[in-house]
Amino acid sequence: MKAIEDFTLIGKTVLRREDSYLMRGKAQFLDDLPEPKGLIHLAFVLSPYACADILSVDASAAKALPGVIDVLTGKDLVGDIKTFAPVIEIEGYRDVRRPVVAVDRVNFVGEYVAVILAESPYVAQDALDLVEVDYDPLPAVAGIEEAEAAGAPVIHSHLGDNHIFRAAFETEDFDARFAEGDLVLEEEFRNGKTAGGMIEPRGCMAWPDPVATNFTLWTPTQIPHIVRTAIADHLDIPESVLRVVAPAVGGGFGTKAHVFPDELIVVALARRYGRAVKWVQDRRESLLTNMHARGHILHIKVSVKQDGTLCGVYLNLKTNCGAYPNHPYSPTLEATGCARMLPGPYRFQTYRYDVSSLITNTCPTGAKRGTGQPSAFLAIEGMMDRIGRRLGIDPAEVRRRNTVRPEEFPYVNVVGVRYDTGSYLPSLERGLEMIGYDAFRAAQPKDRLVNGKYRGIGICNYTEVSGTGAPGWRVRGFAKMPGFDSSRVVVEPDGKITVYVSQADAGQGHYTTFAQIAADRLGVACEDVTVVEGDTSKTPYGTGTFASRGSVVGGGTVIRCSEKVGVKIRRIAGYMLDADPERLVLKDGRVADPEDAGRSLSLREVAETAYSMNNLGLPQGEEHGLEATDYYDPPMVTMANGTHVVQVAVDPEDGRVEIERYAVVHDCGRVINPRIVEGQVHGATVQGIGEALMEEIVYDADGQHLNANLLDYLMPTAMDVPELELDHIETPSIDTVGGIKGAAEGGLTGAVPAIANAVGDALSGLGVNITRVPLRPSSVFEQIRRACTEKEGRA
Amino acid sequence: MSAKKVTVRMKVNGKEYVREVEPRYLLADFLRHELQLTGTHIGCEHGVCGACTVLINGKTGRSCLQFAAALDGAEITTVEGIAGDGPLHPVQEAFHDAHALQCGYCTPGFLMTTIEFLQSNPNPDRGQIRQALTNNMCRCTGYLNIVDAVEDAAKRMREGACGA
Amino acid sequence: MTGSPQWLSMETRVKPAVFDYHRPDNIEEACALLAEYGADARVLSGGQSLVPLMNMRILSPAVLIDINRCRDLAYLREEGAAIACGALTRQSEAETSDLVASRLPLMSIAMPHVGVRASRNFGTVCGSLAHADPLAELPSVASALDARFVIASSRGRREVTADEFFVSALTNCLEPDEMLAEVKMPAIAEGAGCAFHEIANRAHGFAVAGVAACVEFGPDGRCSRARLSAMGAGDTTARLSPVEALIEGQRLDDALIRAAGAEAAVVADPAGDVHADAAYRAEAIGSLVRKVLRQMQGAAVER
Repeated sequence: MKAIEDFTLIGKTVLRREDSYLMRGKAQFLDDLPEPKGLIHLAFVLSPYACADILSVDASAAKALPGVIDVLTGKDLVGDIKTFAPVIEIEGYRDVRRPVVAVDRVNFVGEYVAVILAESPYVAQDALDLVEVDYDPLPAVAGIEEAEAAGAPVIHSHLGDNHIFRAAFETEDFDARFAEGDLVLEEEFRNGKTAGGMIEPRGCMAWPDPVATNFTLWTPTQIPHIVRTAIADHLDIPESVLRVVAPAVGGGFGTKAHVFPDELIVVALARRYGRAVKWVQDRRESLLTNMHARGHILHIKVSVKQDGTLCGVYLNLKTNCGAYPNHPYSPTLEATGCARMLPGPYRFQTYRYDVSSLITNTCPTGAKRGTGQPSAFLAIEGMMDRIGRRLGIDPAEVRRRNTVRPEEFPYVNVVGVRYDTGSYLPSLERGLEMIGYDAFRAAQPKDRLVNGKYRGIGICNYTEVSGTGAPGWRVRGFAKMPGFDSSRVVVEPDGKITVYVSQADAGQGHYTTFAQIAADRLGVACEDVTVVEGDTSKTPYGTGTFASRGSVVGGGTVIRCSEKVGVKIRRIAGYMLDADPERLVLKDGRVADPEDAGRSLSLREVAETAYSMNNLGLPQGEEHGLEATDYYDPPMVTMANGTHVVQVAVDPEDGRVEIERYAVVHDCGRVINPRIVEGQVHGATVQGIGEALMEEIVYDADGQHLNANLLDYLMPTAMDVPELELDHIETPSIDTVGGIKGAAEGGLTGAVPAIANAVGDALSGLGVNITRVPLRPSSVFEQIRRACTEKEGRA
Repeated sequence: MSAKKVTVRMKVNGKEYVREVEPRYLLADFLRHELQLTGTHIGCEHGVCGACTVLINGKTGRSCLQFAAALDGAEITTVEGIAGDGPLHPVQEAFHDAHALQCGYCTPGFLMTTIEFLQSNPNPDRGQIRQALTNNMCRCTGYLNIVDAVEDAAKRMREGACGA
Repeated sequence: MTGSPQWLSMETRVKPAVFDYHRPDNIEEACALLAEYGADARVLSGGQSLVPLMNMRILSPAVLIDINRCRDLAYLREEGAAIACGALTRQSEAETSDLVASRLPLMSIAMPHVGVRASRNFGTVCGSLAHADPLAELPSVASALDARFVIASSRGRREVTADEFFVSALTNCLEPDEMLAEVKMPAIAEGAGCAFHEIANRAHGFAVAGVAACVEFGPDGRCSRARLSAMGAGDTTARLSPVEALIEGQRLDDALIRAAGAEAAVVADPAGDVHADAAYRAEAIGSLVRKVLRQMQGAAVER
């Protein structure tokens, strides 16, 4: 890929154009859209049991309530909507399908049991109280270990047990090479289940076209095209009659990058009743039924030489699928993702993994910012510290000795992923320097106790998968995941530019950054570019905005597409100016011949020619119009990287962890808009602080969800956030268009292991072994207490 | 099951409204669906997230925890009333310049909180700002740029006040 | 918000159920309505605890008696040696009141921990007390201050202590026709030390445990009167009487503070929930007692 050298707007902070309407309260999020006449409001009856047979549903009282249009059960919808499942084609994956509304059996608390159709949301809620469901409760399993235990209830009987997915990988001569190490260390790490926690709950509204059999679905999704394909598949309607629009989206974080049963239901009901249908979830439903994430058990074994270099790594990973596979990724997303991302910036070439995903009676799990990476780095970065402690080598030095060296790029890692470029060692060194690592270590007492608190430093050196293309999805079994994204760039007759992108913004600032890119490539002002996305009827097909792909794939296609249009602009302008098109330059809204000063045309003049609005005519063989379409399928992946270094103080009195210093070094290749990248790093890091210190979805042994509200599911507030010291290194990719890498997830991936390691370092003098997040005061305190008791016992 | 409706007179963003509502109708729903002022957003309906924060008789309140009927005669300011279509309010300008919003769903609540806060504390330090911002939750920004924005807004408003 | 975890998943409603709405103009009218509707009715003041429960339909009262127009309940005033706080006094009024700052400094320092500003602007002191959440700040402050709870009904008035008022988690001693009309708190003696600390799983909000303390010292620097109450120590807010007994008459030295903390951890009888288990809560209360008493050492020396 030829590097682009002449960027003008790419790389500059341009303030966001989205802000004005968002701050004036004019943005239209789903529930802000004008409501069509005759709108039906939905409410779902949710299962109160984690596992139960549905014996009967009596909706007669609900149906009698004035304002209630109908009440439907799963049985009533069987003919309208096929059983719902993702398309995964990979060895070890077993198909599990779900009725979108439960028919005979419920398998998690919150599963839909019936749907109420009413004239107002208040009445729909009233009707919920009147639906009587007779359940026969059955034993449930909520945890991974319970689900795989001998004699555990089998949740989907056709599987024979609760495994939905198993995969294994092993490099050549694994056992022999692993045995070459001087010692083996092993550990088991766990993380809590968490939620995306976007402030806008989900919802959707389907609208039948009054004259034709067409439907528009408004849904705050990150993947409008994939939603449309899934609905067409499951409702047996042509994709051509369905339009999916993502309005303003109030945060996505991966949670809104799934296809949900309710999206199928509202369209099916709009079809059935010929009326617009709307559903908006509340916060409790959001936490009960939107995909959860994490909840992993990672057993890791590393073989090391005396000098701290890794000889081999073995990972046994178990993930909790929940009751059904999510659509479109299934649980393989986090399982395979985590195992394949674990090598990170390290050079080891001997690796084996066994992963499995277990069905449990809990809400399905799926994508959330970082996906498998916070787990993977919790394990591998945790082991780096353990190697250091065991061998008496500084943990930063252990990392140095194992990190891919600058001269080794492009480097192919142990699972075959190519790291085209990266700043693994420089970012580590910069992070250490920012926090004053050497001085801190030199002053740090052996027991880590300073002024009554245990103080320690944690490091996470991470890589961040981004911009996954078709090959990257195929290798993981995602049969219907396109991988490419697309754009259409139109120079309108007045010379202004419209950019249609197959992505869907949820706050990432696409309307500004994609305008910047097109303006940069076409030599116009940002203000002259309008960006349209999130609408399947306006943009060409594409994959969507998740897994740090917006800037890489969306940005890449806008670069390519703008350049394609640029070629046509030059051809027509060359004809008009009687100049060699190759020589012409697009700058300041004009097409100029640099070798003939003063000879130039405005873009408008060229556009008027293209649209036949003057008498000039077009060159022979040239078509009218001034636009191009581009489908960009990036390489398998491109790896961003970075380093988090965190200093914490742990109060032994109450177990509270205070973050005292926090340094982030971040390398996402070519930066499009520094301010927006900084915002992504801040946001992701703080979500990581949440996962590390407080957030956890709690199920009891019976599968009851114990904290489906924001009083009990704790997310960070402004008082939980330290000042972040942030530095950028810019190492452009040589594989992607424009050198762009993704930026949205590394913050989370870096934060969780760095904080866990910092607490581990602080408490290492006490012999506390930190293996689990979140590190709430109660858990830290208990571990300190236990370590002290054991110490006294030994003394 | 519906109860007797009651009459509510309310001045919202300077404009008088009279409506008949069920007593159980929440202020948030009243503003959003009766008055079509959809800038006030709903995030939790149990008073935690702060997205629905509006000024009620000049004070921030959760519009999801107020019954419209109980606010007969009240004066409400919503995000639509901060600057209307005119030039941005200094707090809005500061949020824009500091990149203090991403998805923007929570932002109307943050703006209301900031406006009230800076009225009572025109020269706050960052600790006080963080404390004040616990009124609202944001999942996108990680708060740091919001803290910067509030600090900057305070400065702009102090300077504006001096200049005036 | 404690109680059986069952409601958390069973209940998924987010719009309040239908109710009849009454808006009395004074306490007599309010009491008359309570006498008429009794257990079917709830009193609405600030609504910051009640409305979330109604939105989730954990509570669906048939009748709501909105006392926000009862101007005779909106007062915060000195009455002899006590401060009287009417049922309509907002938490934010108490927070910014000079009277509270000078006579009830414990309440002033605890108030920023109560909810957030938008909730304190509407939430009332009495409303939070009536909610009787063992993990809320104001019940523990009232308990530490030996507050008297003035209960009104059309049958007359009665006064009870905190011990009598708080029956169990989210349950007070009010009869169906009664309301909490006022809370009366004896002014804190000049020079007494006041401290309030809590522990939560994050920096602000939803405490796991908390301790409110008010300690008076004699001219000899010894503790002459100690009042400590704990949040999260049981199913009601509770005074830590054995701890008080331990320190009264003593000098607050480090050994005594350690012993007091240990005693508090033993006395506490907390429940576990998603935020912390019972064992941690007990230890946290111990640690908070040490923290507040260490702060008191300063107060003792200053004299």
